[in-house]
Amino acid sequence: MSSTSQKHKDFVAEPMGEKPVMALAGIGEVLGKRLEDKGFDKAYVVLGQFLVLKKDEELFRDWLKDTCGANVKQQGDCYGCLKEWCDAFL
Amino acid sequence: MPFAEDPAHLSKSRLKSDLVAHNVALPSAASKKAVYVELHLKHIDQKNAADFSSDEEDRADDKKDAEMPVPSCLTDEDLKAMLRKHGVKPGPITASTRVLYERKLHKLLQSDRRERLNEADKAVLYSDSEEEKKQQEKDQDSGSEKQPDPSDQTQKESSQCFLPSSRLAWLFKRPCPPRNTESSSNWNSRNALKSSERSQSQCSQIISTSTADHHTGLGSTVLPRSKSTDDSSLSSQYFSITQMVEEMENSSSRSVTDNACEFNGTSVQENWAQSDRPPQEPVKDAFKDILPGSKTTPTGIYVTRRRPIKGAAQRPVQYSYPDSPVSPMTQQRREVERYLVPIHIQILVFIIVACVLYLIYVNVEGSLSYWSYGEDRLLVQAESQDAEADYAQD
Repeated sequence: MSSTSQKHKDFVAEPMGEKPVMALAGIGEVLGKRLEDKGFDKAYVVLGQFLVLKKDEELFRDWLKDTCGANVKQQGDCYGCLKEWCDAFL
Repeated sequence: MPFAEDPAHLSKSRLKSDLVAHNVALPSAASKKAVYVELHLKHIDQKNAADFSSDEEDRADDKKDAEMPVPSCLTDEDLKAMLRKHGVKPGPITASTRVLYERKLHKLLQSDRRERLNEADKAVLYSDSEEEKKQQEKDQDSGSEKQPDPSDQTQKESSQCFLPSSRLAWLFKRPCPPRNTESSSNWNSRNALKSSERSQSQCSQIISTSTADHHTGLGSTVLPRSKSTDDSSLSSQYFSITQMVEEMENSSSRSVTDNACEFNGTSVQENWAQSDRPPQEPVKDAFKDILPGSKTTPTGIYVTRRRPIKGAAQRPVQYSYPDSPVSPMTQQRREVERYLVPIHIQILVFIIVACVLYLIYVNVEGSLSYWSYGEDRLLVQAESQDAEADYAQD
C-alpha cells in the first residue's frame, strides 16, 4: 500500500467544505495559483471537474496536466485524494 | 437544391434564380411558369441526376473516409457516439471535457488503424492465389484496347507514387487512389499489358491504395482492391511489395495522424488541395521533424543514442574521474591561497622560532648567572686582596 501524505489524510478525514484548492494533496502553492487563475479556486470545483469526467483516472490526469501542469506524481496524489474522498463522502 | 422537390412547386422567381445559377439561358421575361419548369426539368434535374450519381460514388468513398474523421470536427453527439463505439462510456461533453475526449478518440483511432494495417499486411500476403485466378478470368473476358494510354497513365502515376517516403510524398500520392481506381477498372476490362509495366503499376496501385487505406484506415478495403488488380507477377514480387507496404506503414504511422487531421468527411481530393490544416498538438513535433526532411529513417523509428554502458567494449571503466566542478567561491579562495604561505608551514616555523628563542633565553640565563657568579668571585677576590693589602700595611 503506498503511503499517503499528511495532506492527503487531512483532506480525506472530513468533508471538504470551503477548503481552498491548495488543500488537495499534490497541489501546492504554484499549482494552486494556476488552478485559481483558471477559475478553480475551491477544492469543490476541482471535485466537480473530477466528477464530470466520471472519476476516470486517465482523463482527470490529462485534465490536471493541461490545466496546471502537474507532473505525474502530483496528478496521482490529487487523483488519489479526490477518489478516496468520494469513496468516503459521496 | 432540394432533392425531391418538384420544380412545379417552386415559384417562378425561384425557378429563374435556379436556372441562372446553373447557367441556363432564361426564356423571355413574359414566359409562363411552365416554360421555366420545363427548362428547369430539362437542365437542372438532369444535372442533379448526374451529380447524384457521382455524389454516390464520392459518398461511397466519403463514407469510407468518414470512418476516420477528425475528432475536432465532430459534434458533441458524434464524438460521444464514436467513443461509445470503441467501448468508452463518456461523461458529459462540456467545454472543459471536450478536448480530453477528442484526444482519447484520437488515440483509439490510431490504435485501430494500426491494427487494421497489420491485418492488411497479412491479407496482402495471403491473397495472391485468389488474385491470380481472378485476374486470369478477367483477362480472358476482355479484349485489349488502347494499351499504351493506360500504361502511360499508370506509369506516370507509379512514378509519382514511388516517390521517397517523405511527408511531401504522402501529399503527392493522394491523387493516386482515385485515378488508379478508374484506370484499374479500365485495365481489367482492357486486358493486361506487359508484365513488368503491369506489375509496376500494380505495385503502385497497391501501395497507393494501401496508403489511401492507411490514410482512411480501412484495412478491409485493401483486400478487394488488391484482389482486383493483382497479377501473377505479384507473387514473384511480393517480397518487394510487402517491404514497401511495411515502409508505408511505418511512414504512415508517422504521418497518419497528420493525414487524419487533414481529412474531412467530405472529400479526399478537396482536403488534399487544402492540406494546410495544422495537425494536433501531440503530433506537431513529429510533423516538424519530418517536414524539413532532417531525420527520415527507413524504418521510421526514431532513436536517440543512449548513454554508453560503462565497461562495454571500447568504453573502459573510468576509475579516476576528472575534477569535480567547484563553485566560484572555492576557486577564488584557492587562487588567493596560492600566494599565502600554507598554514602548516606557518605553524612549523612558529614552533621552530619559539624553540630557538627559548634556547637562546636559557643560554643567556645560564651565562648571565655564570657571569654574575664570576663577578662575585672577582669581587670577592678583589676584597680579599684589599684585605690582604691592608693587613700587610699594618
